[in-house]
Amino acid sequence: MTDVDNHEELSPNELLAAEYALGVLAGTERTAAAQRVARDRAFAALVAAWEERLAPWTAELPEVAPPPQVWERIAAQLPGAQRQRPRFWQSLVFWRGFGIVSALAAACLAALLYLSMASQQAALVASIEGDGQRIFVAVIDVKRTAITVVPAAYRPDPTRVPELWLVPPGGKPLPLGVLPSDRPTQIALPTTFADQARRDAGLAVSLEPPGGSPTGQPTGPVIGSGKLTNM
Amino acid sequence: MDLDNNRKLIAAALAAVGSGDPNALQTVYRLTATKLFAVCLRILEERSEAEDVLQEVYMTVWSKAAVFDTTLSSPMTWLIAITRNRAIDHLRARGQNRRMDPLETAAELADDKPTADAALQGAQERAKLQRCLDGLAGRERAALRGAFFDGNTYEELAERMKVPLGTMKSWIRRAMIKLKACLEQ
Repeated sequence: MTDVDNHEELSPNELLAAEYALGVLAGTERTAAAQRVARDRAFAALVAAWEERLAPWTAELPEVAPPPQVWERIAAQLPGAQRQRPRFWQSLVFWRGFGIVSALAAACLAALLYLSMASQQAALVASIEGDGQRIFVAVIDVKRTAITVVPAAYRPDPTRVPELWLVPPGGKPLPLGVLPSDRPTQIALPTTFADQARRDAGLAVSLEPPGGSPTGQPTGPVIGSGKLTNM
Repeated sequence: MDLDNNRKLIAAALAAVGSGDPNALQTVYRLTATKLFAVCLRILEERSEAEDVLQEVYMTVWSKAAVFDTTLSSPMTWLIAITRNRAIDHLRARGQNRRMDPLETAAELADDKPTADAALQGAQERAKLQRCLDGLAGRERAALRGAFFDGNTYEELAERMKVPLGTMKSWIRRAMIKLKACLEQ
């Protein structure tokens, strides 16, 4: 680097801008500089130029995922935050899923008819609840071939995805798959799990890294659970 | 992710936040929270306080996005500046900065290695800044680092490096002059 010590100077304004952008000012000096940024556009431009020069330095910091509560707290302060504790029937996602629910109801009716005619087995339903709210509703068909899941009051997590687990009484959770947070989905029930899908088994939803739990067992917090009951 | 593409996504989302779209704020959060949280943690060290500051940062973004001046700052610089200023305000409110151990001037080049992520993100600006920082005297670089990453004031830096306040001010000023000249080359 060439020696610039004696050839270049910063104007008093630019020096102040550099000091403010770097963060070395304290007390009233810092407050005064901050106020000046707000009302003096030329000074704000000098500060912005210094911020631009220094910002690439942050690239040396390894990125860290904040815990999900941070986003939840932000979301709670935004307009429309009243949606955060919706009644089941007030939930937008629920009504979006309503068409599917209607279809499910028809399917269930058919299932009941089928049941009354032939089978000992009923369709199973579970309301998956956490924190006093119903976050997902799940239905397993009579033949135990598929599970249909409708999001209700679930609020998406910014960094993790919901994963569904079948929890046999006294047994380990069996992974059923990652759930979309904004629309109903149907997941094929592995035949090896079909025997476990019975009344009094549980369903649970945990938050996992994108793509789902890397271990085959829940690694994040369980945000909701519910028991399967006969429909 | 492709850096240019990422920048465009952040800029577009910020514009939508400016027009009052809460979903766009979540997009900005998804694209930038890991980086801004790293900045909060580095300056504040305490996790719960870093989380509080991160929340304040995005509420500030929410309220100020409409007046964000794209001709003055790039979106990421603007977000980083808000974050550093918030974190530093919290630090100042605590009173004494806890990071007051003597600043090393010699050994600190070794840990300047960029992370893999940094190698992808803004690699050119980062490389240029690093080259210019390397051109500073060790004590100047150490002082800038203490200010930028530890949030130290002039007074704290003078104490950490055991020099009079006036000396510290002239070190920093000279360093800023050299840095600007080097970056403009």
